[in-house]
Amino acid sequence: MASAAAAAAAEWEAAARKVLVARKPCFGLPTACPTCLPVFLYLRMAQVPFDIHVDTNFPDADHIPYVEFGDCVAFNNEKGGVIEYLKDEKIVDLNSNHPSVSSTDVLETKAMVSTWLADALLYDLWVVSDGSIANDIYFSDLAWPIGKILHWKKTRHVKQLLGITKLNAAEKEEEIYRKASAAYDSLSIRLGDQVFLFDNSPTDVDALFLGHALFVLNALPDTSVLRGTLQKHDNLVRFAEHHKVQLLETSSSSSSGLGSSPSPSSSTPRRRPSSDQSYKPKPRTKKERTEEEKKFRRRAKYFLATQLVAVLVFLSLMGGVDSSELDDDDGLDYED
Amino acid sequence: MAVAADSAADQDPNPVPDEAAGESVEAPAYPDHGEPNADAADVEYEDEEEELDGEAAEAAAREKVEAVFRRLSEDPVGIRVHDVIIKGNTKTRDALIEAEVVGLIRSAATVQDLVRTASVANARLRRLDVFDSVHILLDAGPPELPGTTNVVIEVVEAANPINGSVGCFSKPEARSWTVEGSVRWKNIFGYGDIWDASGAYGWDQSSEIGIGVSLPRFRSIPTPLTARASLLSHDWLKFSSYKERLVGLSFGLLSGVHHDLSYNLTWRTLTDPSQEASQSIRRQLGHNLLSALRYTYTIDQRDSNLRPTKGYAFVSTSQVGGLWGSKGLRFFRQEFDIRGAVPLGFYNAALNAGISAGVIVPLGRGFMESPSSVPDRFFLGGHSSPVISLGSLTSLLGFKTRGVGPTELRRFVPSESVTDESAASPGWDYLGGDFAVSAFADLSFNLPLKLFQDAGIHGHAFLTAGNLAKLSEGEFRNFSFSKFGRTLRSSAGVGIILPTKLLRVEINYCHILKQFEHDRGKTGIQFSFSSPM
Repeated sequence: MASAAAAAAAEWEAAARKVLVARKPCFGLPTACPTCLPVFLYLRMAQVPFDIHVDTNFPDADHIPYVEFGDCVAFNNEKGGVIEYLKDEKIVDLNSNHPSVSSTDVLETKAMVSTWLADALLYDLWVVSDGSIANDIYFSDLAWPIGKILHWKKTRHVKQLLGITKLNAAEKEEEIYRKASAAYDSLSIRLGDQVFLFDNSPTDVDALFLGHALFVLNALPDTSVLRGTLQKHDNLVRFAEHHKVQLLETSSSSSSGLGSSPSPSSSTPRRRPSSDQSYKPKPRTKKERTEEEKKFRRRAKYFLATQLVAVLVFLSLMGGVDSSELDDDDGLDYED
Repeated sequence: MAVAADSAADQDPNPVPDEAAGESVEAPAYPDHGEPNADAADVEYEDEEEELDGEAAEAAAREKVEAVFRRLSEDPVGIRVHDVIIKGNTKTRDALIEAEVVGLIRSAATVQDLVRTASVANARLRRLDVFDSVHILLDAGPPELPGTTNVVIEVVEAANPINGSVGCFSKPEARSWTVEGSVRWKNIFGYGDIWDASGAYGWDQSSEIGIGVSLPRFRSIPTPLTARASLLSHDWLKFSSYKERLVGLSFGLLSGVHHDLSYNLTWRTLTDPSQEASQSIRRQLGHNLLSALRYTYTIDQRDSNLRPTKGYAFVSTSQVGGLWGSKGLRFFRQEFDIRGAVPLGFYNAALNAGISAGVIVPLGRGFMESPSSVPDRFFLGGHSSPVISLGSLTSLLGFKTRGVGPTELRRFVPSESVTDESAASPGWDYLGGDFAVSAFADLSFNLPLKLFQDAGIHGHAFLTAGNLAKLSEGEFRNFSFSKFGRTLRSSAGVGIILPTKLLRVEINYCHILKQFEHDRGKTGIQFSFSSPM
């Protein structure tokens, strides 16, 4: 494992550019998708310089957001997500900066934010809302038939995920909002007057919650119950506003502008770090076995093909070719 | 009293029906009063005849027939079509049959013309492919209207409206064999509509199901119209790290011998379940609406599709995408294919040669820097024979499918353990080209043994060459024809072709003459199977 982490970290260091591929900006946010925003904020908090590339074609992709560094990619649907991957590979680990914080606390808070608050946000965005917000974020660049069908699919998927049926819709809604309210209460107490949730030092939970809060406050309409609940907690609102100014509006010189960046693609191989440190030469026996296997397979293929051809030749020589079947003569063929 | 134009007999345009063809002609009963150019009335009404006994009656009948023939062969005999009666169509609408033939029949002014147009009408109705047989009879008109005739069209609708077929083919654009089955229903609604449902499954997990309808005419549009809805999926993971799924409608608007115009509305989704794609492919994954109009102009004067020995052919295909407004895929794609065959005289040998070229250009704002869509680009490689694939710019024998052209390194995953082989070489994605040229020269000849000649087995020696280049995303500035020519890939070889009833089998030995980095060309024996038609 150590070698793998070292390999990934080495790639990260060697990469000239890091690119975050996320969904489009909207509502005053650099990326309006609630899954992409935390990753963006995490990288900003860690002061990693990166470019952003906007993806407009794949609203139902699991793998977006993803970060490209060199030839490697960290996808959203691998190894727990981009933030988890960056932490596990020791590439960007905000939590390591303050070992005094109990990891169980961090984990509990993270669980609460990633389940209760995330579910409430999904509910508000896909089920309660009239669809215009989701359209603006995800489907505005697709042709409308595709957009409509994907929207419908996603709404159905969210309802299934949250277990909402016609019979229990009201109960489920009440349960979702109750949990969200409890989560906000708990976070508000934890935050108190601090700048960050844990000990005045940023963690990944801050990025997750900040992403959630910024979306709720900026994208959801005034009539949203979730937004109303969040706005009851002044310190949480202040937390969101403060960090929005810090991270998003003072765009530091380290990160380049928003928008899609041209990607050079040619057939020249990219620069790769020297592979000596990371990989040992493969054991010879395994390589030889593969060669033998390949040879065997090729021979088997030739043998089968020859058999087939022999059968066909036999059939054709004995049966003869019926070329008169090619033309179906119906009588006269008149041109209009 | 009637002249029958029978569908079973071979008609020739000669206005004098041939007795030896088995047609029965009886004495027509139309006097020609009032026709300025007609001869004096010589024909008697049959019911005014006297009663004669057997032999004399036959002789009289024969004489009457001969008199008719004499008259018909001497001068045009005027006639007017009074009524067209259609019988036997229980399902088929009258309007369809009338639209096909009535105008034609009514335009006839003489008997000779009428017999000829009746044959033409017969052929047209048979071409609709919904009738088992068609008879056209010319009957006497009403007695109070001299010089007229009634035309009776008797059709027998197809007793069994369903037929099906199954076949196994290798298409040039697919990676490997496909098994295809289709079922056709004829004339369900009586408009001459032919419905077909087809399914195809390929060895490379590509599959297609579709349902289509073709109408011989729609309201006032005289040319056949087709519409087809299909669901198609292709697996290109091994070559270009993506899978494509297409759901679409296509409409054939105009289809004739030379011209073909069709409109295609497709929802295309590119996905990468392996998550190993290179950056260019990753950027193209997602959903797209392809709304394109395609026009094909074909001239094919070769004497055969499968083994041309004489003639030439030219195909031009133009496709414009992006008719749905600014949000669909916008591009312009043009392909040319020109080829000819020259017979060489000995051993039934012939030299076929051809060259095809294609280019795709993205349209819209900033088109010079934007990328072209990967599935619409040109790819070279595969086992399909260039001689029989007219209008398809993919053949380059000796190279694997999509095995030529610009490539990009796939995603690199830092290895978790040192014995993980996949980390060592991530592989290359073949991206295809925006500009492609391929050419071939093929010498086909009969094999010396008479046994082979009778079976149609022949040999051939070939030379193929081709190249791809990228022009989009600003690369056209680095493009030069001399560099393109210098990097032309080529291969040569010999082979044997066995045409059988089920498949056309081709066994080739290919030798790669020139290939470049990352090309997948292999010197050796290759098999290729294609449709026997």
